[in-house]
Amino acid sequence: MGPNPRKRKVVTRAAPEASDSGDELADGLLDGILSHSEDDSDQSQVEDDDSDASSVIEGLSDGDEEDEEDEEDESGFESEDGEQDIREQMRKLKTTDDPSKRTISLDNGADATADGELDEQDDSAKPNYTVTTDANGNPRYIYKEIDPVYDSDDSDAADVANTIGNIDLSYYDEYPHIGYDINGKRIMRPAKGDALDALLDSIDIPKGWTGLTDPATGKPLNLSAEELDVLKRVTRNEHLEDGYDPYPEMVHYFSGVKEIMPLSAAPEPKRRFVPSKHEAKRVMKIVKAIREGRIQPYKPPEEREEQDEQVHYDVWADEKPRSDNSMHLAAPKLPPPGYDASYHPPPEYLPDKDEEKAWLEADEEDREKEYLPRNHDALRKVPGYERFVKERFERSLDLYLAPRVRRNKLNIDPESLLPKLPNPEDLKPFPTTCAAIFRGQEGRVRSVSFDPRGIFVASGGDDGYVRIWEILTGRQVWNVKLSDEEAVDSVKWRPDAETSILAAAAGEDVYMIVPFTILSPDVEQASRDILDAGWGYAASKPSTTTNGETKEPPGKWSRPGSRLESKGVLVQTTVRSNVKTIHWHRKGDYFATVSPRGQSTAVAIHTLSKHLTQLPFRRLKGIAQTAQFHPSKAIFFVATKNSIRSYDLAKQELVKILQPGAKWISSIDVHPGGDNIIVGTYDKRLLWHDLDLSTKPYKTLRFHTAAIRAVRFHQGGLPLFADASDDGSMQIFHGKVVGDMMENATIVPLKVLKGHKVKSRLGVMDVDWHPREPWCVSAGADGTCRMWN
Amino acid sequence: MAVGLKKKGTTGAARNYITRTRAVKKLQISLPDFRRLCIFKGIYPREPRKKKKVTKGSTAATTFYYTKDIQYLLHEPLLGKFREHKAVAKKIARALGRGEAGDAARLEKHLIPKIKLDHIIKERYPTFVDALRDLDDALSMLFLFATLPSSEYVPAKTISICQKLCHEFEHYVITTHSLRKSFLSIKGIYYQATIQGQDIMWLVPYRFVQRSGGDIDFRIMGTFVEFYTTLLGFVNYRLYTTIGLVYPPKFNAKMDEQGGELSAFQLEGRSVIANGDATHNDDAPRAVNPDAQVIADKIAAQADTEEEEETIPAAVQSANEEEGTEGIDKFEVTAPDADVLPQPEASSAEVASLFAPFTFYLSRETPRTPLEFILKAFGSKRVGWDGTLGDGAFVTSESDPSITHQIVDRPTLSNGADASDAPASTNDGAAPKVQWPRSTMPGRTYVQPQWVWDCINQGKLLRPDLYAPGAELPPHLSPWVKAKKGEYDPTLSLQEQEADGEAAAFEDEEDMEDVSEVEAAKEDNGVDALLDRESSVEAGEGMDVDDSDDDEENESDEAEAAAAGEDWDGIDSDAESDISEGEAARLQHQRELEAEATGKPLEPEVGTTKSKNAAIRKKAEKKRREEEEERARQKMMLSNKKRKLLKRIEYGENKRDTEAEALRHKKRKLEKVKKAGN
Repeated sequence: MGPNPRKRKVVTRAAPEASDSGDELADGLLDGILSHSEDDSDQSQVEDDDSDASSVIEGLSDGDEEDEEDEEDESGFESEDGEQDIREQMRKLKTTDDPSKRTISLDNGADATADGELDEQDDSAKPNYTVTTDANGNPRYIYKEIDPVYDSDDSDAADVANTIGNIDLSYYDEYPHIGYDINGKRIMRPAKGDALDALLDSIDIPKGWTGLTDPATGKPLNLSAEELDVLKRVTRNEHLEDGYDPYPEMVHYFSGVKEIMPLSAAPEPKRRFVPSKHEAKRVMKIVKAIREGRIQPYKPPEEREEQDEQVHYDVWADEKPRSDNSMHLAAPKLPPPGYDASYHPPPEYLPDKDEEKAWLEADEEDREKEYLPRNHDALRKVPGYERFVKERFERSLDLYLAPRVRRNKLNIDPESLLPKLPNPEDLKPFPTTCAAIFRGQEGRVRSVSFDPRGIFVASGGDDGYVRIWEILTGRQVWNVKLSDEEAVDSVKWRPDAETSILAAAAGEDVYMIVPFTILSPDVEQASRDILDAGWGYAASKPSTTTNGETKEPPGKWSRPGSRLESKGVLVQTTVRSNVKTIHWHRKGDYFATVSPRGQSTAVAIHTLSKHLTQLPFRRLKGIAQTAQFHPSKAIFFVATKNSIRSYDLAKQELVKILQPGAKWISSIDVHPGGDNIIVGTYDKRLLWHDLDLSTKPYKTLRFHTAAIRAVRFHQGGLPLFADASDDGSMQIFHGKVVGDMMENATIVPLKVLKGHKVKSRLGVMDVDWHPREPWCVSAGADGTCRMWN
Repeated sequence: MAVGLKKKGTTGAARNYITRTRAVKKLQISLPDFRRLCIFKGIYPREPRKKKKVTKGSTAATTFYYTKDIQYLLHEPLLGKFREHKAVAKKIARALGRGEAGDAARLEKHLIPKIKLDHIIKERYPTFVDALRDLDDALSMLFLFATLPSSEYVPAKTISICQKLCHEFEHYVITTHSLRKSFLSIKGIYYQATIQGQDIMWLVPYRFVQRSGGDIDFRIMGTFVEFYTTLLGFVNYRLYTTIGLVYPPKFNAKMDEQGGELSAFQLEGRSVIANGDATHNDDAPRAVNPDAQVIADKIAAQADTEEEEETIPAAVQSANEEEGTEGIDKFEVTAPDADVLPQPEASSAEVASLFAPFTFYLSRETPRTPLEFILKAFGSKRVGWDGTLGDGAFVTSESDPSITHQIVDRPTLSNGADASDAPASTNDGAAPKVQWPRSTMPGRTYVQPQWVWDCINQGKLLRPDLYAPGAELPPHLSPWVKAKKGEYDPTLSLQEQEADGEAAAFEDEEDMEDVSEVEAAKEDNGVDALLDRESSVEAGEGMDVDDSDDDEENESDEAEAAAAGEDWDGIDSDAESDISEGEAARLQHQRELEAEATGKPLEPEVGTTKSKNAAIRKKAEKKRREEEEERARQKMMLSNKKRKLLKRIEYGENKRDTEAEALRHKKRKLEKVKKAGN
């Protein structure tokens, strides 16, 4: 009985054969009803003997329709006729012996018609039942009577009232039957509706008819007279039984009336008045025991003193040492008292007033000592110690609450940590003391330079002056004011002992100075010759331009004007932005200037003999900080903010990029050998690069507390280098480079030269070495230069 | 889970440590009970090395116990006792709730379980030496409780037990002469005894009412005391039995009531008992007549003392004659850089003979208990005291002629009082009673108590005149401090320990100060006069005030001087000093040349002290600076790790140095004041 109606039809297809074969009366009756309804709708089919399965289905569905129609014309006179028909058919049904007998196989009704002949031959083999045709022409099976022998086991089965189990009856609404019997035959629905009414009209209403249907069986529910009576009483709120007395009379089972006579009149027995012999026996026993002293009379226990004195014995009679691996840590002992805990300490241990006040004011937990040393000149004057119990209590707390950890005491001789360095005496000479102070400048001194002959020191500073000092006397021998507003950022002597030319940068201008007043005439002449050689060179060979336009040259070479010329400033070169550093090529014909602000024009190489300025880099990665020529090869080093690039000038290609790992490089210097570079950085580091080793620094030295501004190798053959830092100190190192490739450079710190004052967080601005001697000169932000030897 | 993968937190540190809460839960006891258990069993929290692993990342402060410790606690019999106690406590509470006081009393009397700690003693201290090693705290605690008044938390019984145990221990120390050192501190009196090679130090408070208010939990202290009494009882037993004494010694309650203290105990040799056993085979071996025993013991003791008196001088003589043969020679270190090998300190024989020949008398005002203990421990058999100080004195009469030393702690009276009080002494009758301070007995040495302590700490008899009554005592020094290199040692003179040039620098500074001081003196003349008067009135304490005032002045002046110094001692000092040095050398050379030229002998240059000082100071400073530079240079080459280590070491050293220097500075100042006073 699935929800799919089509399926339901398929299932019901075989139904007529089964249902129609019923030979019981009820079945027969129902069959009759069915067939009657069919007949009503379709007259022709009554006569039609051979109805196949499809027609049956048609008929079934028609019959359903017909049911509804029947209900519609209930009051029709047709009912009379119908009734007669029923009766006729019932009669027919009972007596049916259709001449046209057909055998149908059990399996398939549809096939059965086709294979009827075939099955007929097997009929003799199946004597269990006979197939006849019922009133509708359907095959009908008539089973033989079962012989009720013992084995037959049919009698015990009670007639099953309900075969559909616990299934709602409504599911069978659409079907003519309700459930199946043991033989698989349909149990037909009890008749209802018009046909039934008609039937009932003919029959008397049975006794106890209620008109209700028993939901369990689907059969009419009949009630007996008693049951009906009970129901009636219940509806009327009456007592269910006849003769029930709701208020019976009370029976007094217990009376409050006192009996006058006792129930027993027996006299008191004698034994109630005679002493017990048994008891006497027991008493005598006790008395005897007491007399014999076996039972002591009760004595209240003595108020014995709590004498639970500890019984002592030798606990350590068989002592075994603790196992070595135990995790036990003994509690540390308290330290013994020191001198200051004495009641009469040496007077120097007594606190003075400030210490005492500090102690008293300090929080109890912050005090280094929990007591204040006191002096009592006699033992009798010593008071009690207030904190005694408290200290003891705190010790107890420590014993059971403080975690114990075994700590190794630091027992290292600090001397053993310090490395054994070569004796500074062996590393001598190096500058140790301040030999001279060159005073007289205003503002910071930004740059210093030793003259190649080692006689003079040039300095330039914020006041715009270039000054020249004599080393031996410390006297200022010459000065010129280059600029009013710009500081002199860099001064550098040309590295040629025959001449004496000083390059100084102030703002965008680079000046070539021959301080002739302090020079011998031949030197002056040589110097002037060199400077004058280039005049007109640029004019005679104008910069070749590709498309005819005259490109503005990167540097303008001119005469600085008569005022300066009279002082010895002979050539002025103007570049496009402020020059910060100047560096000469070793031969003195070229010099490089770096102006960090001018992006593409940051690095310029100038040729003195041709008065020519070139910009070697069209574009430079990062901000150029400083640049330097290789001391022997045609290699040019440019330091940007955090890397150093070396270029081959001859081949015009990049050779190497060094990565010092610094945040901001301040200055670099190339070792006279050419294979090592030192780099000073604003992040307080001094880095030593070995060009043969790696692009990373060989040593990183961090001894300064402030930025490093300048680094410089000694150029005259001594293995020294120095750095200048904003913490006001210079550090001198021994840095020996061995020609052997296998050995690394040895660097030994030698000396910290202190003396410059730190002014507005600037200390030493520049440093330079004497060309031959182990002397150096430093420029300080405090407006002095110092000469160290 | 894959095979071989281990779940986190199942092994190692995470399992080895357990928090306190978890421990308490595991043991199923209350926190106070857990505390008691920990105190008894000596279980203490641990600091896990990998704390993060243990805390599983949480940073809350927790205490951790070693899991195995707690595991062992699970089988502790005390746990059962605690549970029983809890059950009984419930019953008692119920009885009290019903108003059945009698029942409650009965329950309390019979059912409260008695806790015995014997097995714990054995467990915590597997060997006797372990117990001795841990005796410091026990003794300090018990000696404190012996002096406490009884209160709600400290029952009188506990106090009496503490007193008893302490006195028993003292008796052992006296008999074996194992006391080595003692020190009068402001906290109390420290004692150190050496028993079986173990140094045991304990602190005894002065006899005053202890302030025990504030947040002191006497239940915790009580738990400790409970354990310590058991421990000390067993230790005493073992100590007594090892030297053949009976433990517990006889205790004379009556004598104790009269303040007998130590003398309320009567030590018995075990041999006596043994004899008793031999003679009396019946069941009462101890039924020796106590009085007879006392007398016998006294006689024995006297015989002992007599014997010793006879033998000791001989021993001393022999020691004097042939010192090299018997004892250990003292090895003196000749060079400062050599290692010092420890040598055993005074033997018990030496200790026993220190005060043996003397009879002491303690005046009324001296602390009798510590003096009696120390004197007896150092060999003196005859210690007497004023009758008011309690029973058990050898002599109570001050005028007894046998007394050789009298310990007094009273200021001397002026002469006037002496005369007026003279009749009082004659009143007493036949024996002319001479009493300190009215008169002195000839042949008797009067000393202040500190003499006793200084004598025993130095192991020899000191000059008593330094400690005479009324004399200003020398400072009392702790015997335990061994000055290490660079630390200040008050026993040495300043010259021995100061750095080069320090004194010179100080003098220079002082000179600077002098100028300002003179000015100050001019200004504060009135104040000074007042101060002077004060000091003359009260010689003792007035000085202190005066001193400290001076100190303050000096201090401020010093600060000024320092400030001034910074001004002129600027950056150029180095160069200038060098130049001036060079100049001086040049001048000297010039002078020599001139002298040579003229043929006169060169007069040695007599510099003023100031210039000399300056020279010394400069030299020292230069040297120091050079050293510093060298050091800085070396430090530059250190790796970061080592540099940090060095920094830590140097921190300690610098602290020590500055402390020592501050002390030296103070001392120098004091010396100067003294000199000025002279």
